[in-house]
Amino acid sequence: MKKLNIKKGKITMTITIGIACFVLVLVMFMQFKIVNETDITSIENMRETELRTELANWKSKYDEVNAQYEETQSKIEEYKQTKESNEETEKLVDEELETVNMNLGKTDVEGEGIEIILKETDNEEISQINADDLLVIVNALKLAGAEAISINDERIINMSDIVNINANTDDLFVRINGQRILAPYVIKAIGNQTYLESELLGNGGYVDQLRTIGHDVSIEKKDNIKILKYNDEITTKYIQ
Amino acid sequence: MKNKKMICIVLGIMCFALTLGICVQVRTVRGTNSTISQNYEENNLRAEVLKYKERYENKYEELEKAEQELEKERQNSTQNNEDLESKEQQIQQGNKVIGLAEVTGPGVIVTLSDSKSDASSALNASDLIVHDADVLSVINELKNAGAEAISINNQRLVPTSSIVCGGNIIEINGEKVGAPFEIKAIGLPEQLAALSRPGGYLEILKNATVGVELKKSNNITIPRYTGVISYEYAKSVD
Repeated sequence: MKKLNIKKGKITMTITIGIACFVLVLVMFMQFKIVNETDITSIENMRETELRTELANWKSKYDEVNAQYEETQSKIEEYKQTKESNEETEKLVDEELETVNMNLGKTDVEGEGIEIILKETDNEEISQINADDLLVIVNALKLAGAEAISINDERIINMSDIVNINANTDDLFVRINGQRILAPYVIKAIGNQTYLESELLGNGGYVDQLRTIGHDVSIEKKDNIKILKYNDEITTKYIQ
Repeated sequence: MKNKKMICIVLGIMCFALTLGICVQVRTVRGTNSTISQNYEENNLRAEVLKYKERYENKYEELEKAEQELEKERQNSTQNNEDLESKEQQIQQGNKVIGLAEVTGPGVIVTLSDSKSDASSALNASDLIVHDADVLSVINELKNAGAEAISINNQRLVPTSSIVCGGNIIEINGEKVGAPFEIKAIGLPEQLAALSRPGGYLEILKNATVGVELKKSNNITIPRYTGVISYEYAKSVD
């Protein structure tokens, strides 16, 4: 009888401990999961000024998407209403195609912006402006919100490349969109004049750097700049 | 008797270990809390940022749905007219080129990662890191080799995309991405793979002991741009 009692007690104890262990392990896993899920690194470590820019960033992104959403909705409505009439449908399709072509760079565009002129240098100690410099300037202009860019009237589109041909020789020249480009380089950009200029001239701006080593670079704000369209056919073979 | 003692000791040790674990947990939680709640203003801002981020993401989903609907409506409206149908196709193809639609096709995947070798043993630690200029050059070479669509860590490159260095991360389309950088490009794989030719930019990077890998693939999917292209200053004059 006594032996049986001890055995019984043992069994209950083992079971209790087992359950307790199980519960504890469960709780631990939950904890780990929660800790993993909370994205501590990105947002929790930000300081106030950073948070403010982040907030402004998301707000403007939201506004943009919201505007686009409303536009899309109204287009859907228009298509529904014009279903019967070929003429009106054609007008709608033409409008959309026009926007697409503007995005592609297949239309001439006008607006305020800046014009940068980089001249050939006589100084033999510094290297001439080449494709690498132009690439950096174009990237900086895009960062400052440029809506259209051209170099010597070669429009910069999504697939444009800016490369040095005959690098490391005396015959070096720059090629953009497969076209040979010669100095002086005239870069036109449409966008907010102040943003565009300060991105290049501000502390550490690339034009500032070029001027420091002795290049002749001029920047001019212009109220009405015309940027020509991309002149070739845009063809694709591989994307589907 | 001996058994009981053993059980007691085991239980004791377990209890001790558990208490220790709980104490450590409570401590870490309190530790993080104290830094977080330092500033009431910051907490508010954080909540606000998260709220707007969520609102943006929700709206974006709605926008994607609306755009699919628009495409359907457009196809419906244009299917009886050959002329309109061809314009409809131009719109679709155009959106793929700009980056406003997902695309698939053959191409290459280039992965750039920071060097694994010890920074203290290098002459210039900066040589071991992937910079924004490196990414910019690789992208430019891919375009030169005929890439028709490019993404970096799934951020699609559109006409207005810029690449900037922000500390140890790179910002593309205003979104922060960190190394390793996975650059996907669609085009003729053999031509794109020429990027790893002797004297090519990938070779230069390799010599600078940055991790470089190039893979050809017959089926690459590049997502669409998760933003909006709009114009405030430029006007079409055609």
